[in-house]
Amino acid sequence: MAFLTQLLFHPFTWYHAHQLLAGQIGVDGLLALSIWLTLYSGQLTLANAGFMAIGAYSSVILTGGTTSTGPAAAGVHLPLAVAMLVGIALAALVAFVIGLPVLRLKGVFLAIATLGFGEALRYGLILNLGITGKGQGLNNPHATLTSGITPIWLALVVLAFLAWRLTGTKTGHAWAAIREDQLAAAAQGIDVARYKMVAFVLGAMVAALAGGLGAHLSFLIDSNDYTFTQAIAMLIWAVVGGIAFVIGPIVGAVLLTILPEVLRFTQDYRQVINGIILIAIVLFRPDGLFTRRKGTGNPSRLLRGWAFIRRSWASRRPQPAPP
Amino acid sequence: MRNTIQQLLNGIFIGSIYALFGLGYTLVFGLLDVLNLAHSEVFMLGAVVTYSLVALHHVPFLLAVPLGIVAGGLLGLVIEFVALRPLRRRGAPPIAALISTIGLALILVALIEQAKRGSALAWLWRDGANDVQFPAGKVPDRIWHLAGLTLPVDKLAIVVITVALMAVLAYVMAKTPAGRAVRAVAENPRAAQLLGVNVDRVITITLVVSSALAALAGILFALALNDISPYIGRDQVELRGLAVIVLGGMGSIPGTFIGGFTLGLLESVTILTLGTDVRAVGFVALFVMLILRPSGLLGRQTSERV
Amino acid sequence: MRTTSRIRWWGTAGIAVAVISVAACGSSSKTSSSNSNKGKTLKLGAVFSLTGAGGVYGPQQQQAVKLAEETTNASGGVDGANLSIQVVDDASNQTQAAQQTQTLIQQNQVTALLGPTLSNSAVAAHPIADNLKTPMLAVSTTGLNIVGTCPYPCTYIFRDSLGEATAIPTNIKTYVASANPKPKTGVLLYPNDDKFSVDGATAVKQTVTDPAVGIQLLDTIQFSKSDADLTQFVNQGVSKHPDVIFITSLGGIPAKIMTAARQQGFTGQFLGGNGFNSAAVSKQAANFGKGAQSASAWYLGNDFASNAEFVKAFKAKYGTDPDQFAAQAYTGVLILVDAAKRAKLTYTDLPGDRQKLRTAMESTNIQTPLGPFQFTSTHDVHQTIWVIAMDGQGGFTLVTSVKPS
Repeated sequence: MAFLTQLLFHPFTWYHAHQLLAGQIGVDGLLALSIWLTLYSGQLTLANAGFMAIGAYSSVILTGGTTSTGPAAAGVHLPLAVAMLVGIALAALVAFVIGLPVLRLKGVFLAIATLGFGEALRYGLILNLGITGKGQGLNNPHATLTSGITPIWLALVVLAFLAWRLTGTKTGHAWAAIREDQLAAAAQGIDVARYKMVAFVLGAMVAALAGGLGAHLSFLIDSNDYTFTQAIAMLIWAVVGGIAFVIGPIVGAVLLTILPEVLRFTQDYRQVINGIILIAIVLFRPDGLFTRRKGTGNPSRLLRGWAFIRRSWASRRPQPAPP
Repeated sequence: MRNTIQQLLNGIFIGSIYALFGLGYTLVFGLLDVLNLAHSEVFMLGAVVTYSLVALHHVPFLLAVPLGIVAGGLLGLVIEFVALRPLRRRGAPPIAALISTIGLALILVALIEQAKRGSALAWLWRDGANDVQFPAGKVPDRIWHLAGLTLPVDKLAIVVITVALMAVLAYVMAKTPAGRAVRAVAENPRAAQLLGVNVDRVITITLVVSSALAALAGILFALALNDISPYIGRDQVELRGLAVIVLGGMGSIPGTFIGGFTLGLLESVTILTLGTDVRAVGFVALFVMLILRPSGLLGRQTSERV
Repeated sequence: MRTTSRIRWWGTAGIAVAVISVAACGSSSKTSSSNSNKGKTLKLGAVFSLTGAGGVYGPQQQQAVKLAEETTNASGGVDGANLSIQVVDDASNQTQAAQQTQTLIQQNQVTALLGPTLSNSAVAAHPIADNLKTPMLAVSTTGLNIVGTCPYPCTYIFRDSLGEATAIPTNIKTYVASANPKPKTGVLLYPNDDKFSVDGATAVKQTVTDPAVGIQLLDTIQFSKSDADLTQFVNQGVSKHPDVIFITSLGGIPAKIMTAARQQGFTGQFLGGNGFNSAAVSKQAANFGKGAQSASAWYLGNDFASNAEFVKAFKAKYGTDPDQFAAQAYTGVLILVDAAKRAKLTYTDLPGDRQKLRTAMESTNIQTPLGPFQFTSTHDVHQTIWVIAMDGQGGFTLVTSVKPS
């Protein structure tokens, strides 16, 4: 409990002792945002752990990462920002190529295919290419540790804002329409394939950014950080938070990354209680913490208080129609 | 040549375990469109319960096996009543059920992982995160050596059991009233309800059967591969189970069996030809299969399943 | 209506269970005490893998550390100061290991740290300790680049566990020197997605080419630590008819390989690394593992007086024999306590104390359960190495001991 009290009442002391955790929370927030982009457009994809790996390995290799036998890429020492841009571009390219055949799939088939992509990338490429250090991992002598935390949170805030603005544009409306009913969306003249691809590629880019930023919190990156489990974790954050709003997945990531730390005092049964709480949240709020109330454009419960305040300020107007 | 035959046999042995495990996945998915990710932990607990009975409580193996299967079936009830039914009643999306079964899986692994000597669950498991195997002499572990081939009796039994179970299940699904009820619910739950089918009961029974199969698969895995630990479900079969049901065709029982044997043999052939890295090949195959024929080898062509 | 009430019920039940567990566990988590002679406390921290895959080792380490804390305080503490060691769980996860290291240093104000349990976690956590100028002593990590040549300065990092780079060559050379007839061929099996195992495999590959060893590797077979059926890989290896099978891996994998190889008629020798040195592995391999040989930092029956004392105390407190990981963790506390005594800590100037402790650690020369113990100039172990073999019943027999050069 001390953890929570400190976090709430002495945030600066808390931050001083938990900088790496704060950094991790930011990275997880970015990852949740990356999977939200595809979920919001109605696609259950689990490839983001793979894109995260692409971002992480690119950013470490290009800034002078070393394997146990020497520099990963001899003579290459790009600035971190450039290396990350390369990683993001590479992830976007891979996403585009993979997306062409895969995005025709739906539901669980899409999920399993994208999961297959992630594992094939890990077992097929990362563990077999000399440049990645294979199973020994890739040393990152240029890790920034705590100074890397500000960029992470800055990226999260900026991207969350952009994603929120995006939901109000033509693209955002198209995604929501595809999520509601793909056939109807197509009938309205929405280019379904194109908008799905845009969401998938954007999600891959955000995941690659998160991977690159996260990699620089550590002196070693290892293929075990980009597994099936990591992909599922992102999905859990997003579903727990709710996908109707950008804020949902981010809040889900923050809460569920902090939860094991809050539960540390339960010692051996930490993971058990973690699981119980996860089930409880899903049973109470199967659509996530932040949801749209049915029939209106307003979010329910958690945001209802805010909606009430807003309504009392504004004159009585007809409720906006649901999108 | 001898090595080749031996490796193909190994592929068939492990393939039948994959098939048995995938069967439960596919039954539940076919019915509810929900991926039950707690399935792999039922697999693990089936093995753990049977091990506990044999090694800690000195129950004869042939009695411990049915008890382990019953324990698996009971766990199926837990999955239905804790993770699935409450969400179904609320009309929650399948993805919520996916997450609740993940939560259940986390709890089950953590409970076994923390069970040590002196802890509350020491009667069930006392080796924490360690791997154990059945004590020698208490389980069937004869090995036949035939024409230079190693043929463990337990592995041969697995293939026989798997094929027999497949035949029984395929018959039940195709020819009996119970099977028709399951197919009716899978096709359209609301219509089935109107026709007088007790949908909840069909789902509950399917979960019990599916979980009992997972427990059996776990027991056979533990016996044949000498490996029991809190992680055998999550690490060894969870993803492979997904691959199997996709390769075979979601919801198809014969398809799942073909999928299981295909994956087992594919892994063997990879080891024979490349020597290493079976996992990547399995996933590449999965990926290619989904792109070329999303409905799997024997699946029906469905327009949309979310 | 009925639906809602049922959901409520389950939710309430869940929360109730959580609250009860919290109440049950929360009460035991405070360990601070202040009744020392001089009213001072030496605070140490330990980051161990108590849950997750590393849970195979972490709990024994925790037991040993708690035992050492008790014995130290019972015999007058650290020159009168009370010793308090806070053990935290990293859940076998490198991110958590790094975070916990930071929290222990900056929040709990520990003077020095032990751990983490796993090599992957060590590579993430050690730079944090080094960056915050706090000594951290690795007590179980055996991988490459932990001390000596690190990708960061690592001036505050020490290790009392035997690295694979020393253990594996020692074991192979000892075996070749005594074997009759001499082994000529070998096969190496290891999972390629685990740092510990790949580091070990690298050491094997380097050692076999040594002219004094001269074993030809017929095949190097890689698999994944999550591959279900290892018999297929073992088959591939056994079909080459090697004299020796090398296994560098952790957890249940060595035992599974040994079982499968013997079942397929392999009659040669198993050689391995630290992955063999746990009672659980010997127990799992049972008769199939009999004779499997490895080099260890410690041996249960070693004849040092300090070891007999440790084994007796451990057995009295926990009812089981300690293992290598317990012995190394126990030794870790002895090293830190000894250094703290010699360093003349102020107990007021924490950064200064950490610096003094680090300097004192470099000149460690004490009796431990591992034998007479010193650090090398690169902060690595300088101790007797025990070459041991599995006895087929969950224990080990001593093959020979190799004195430090």
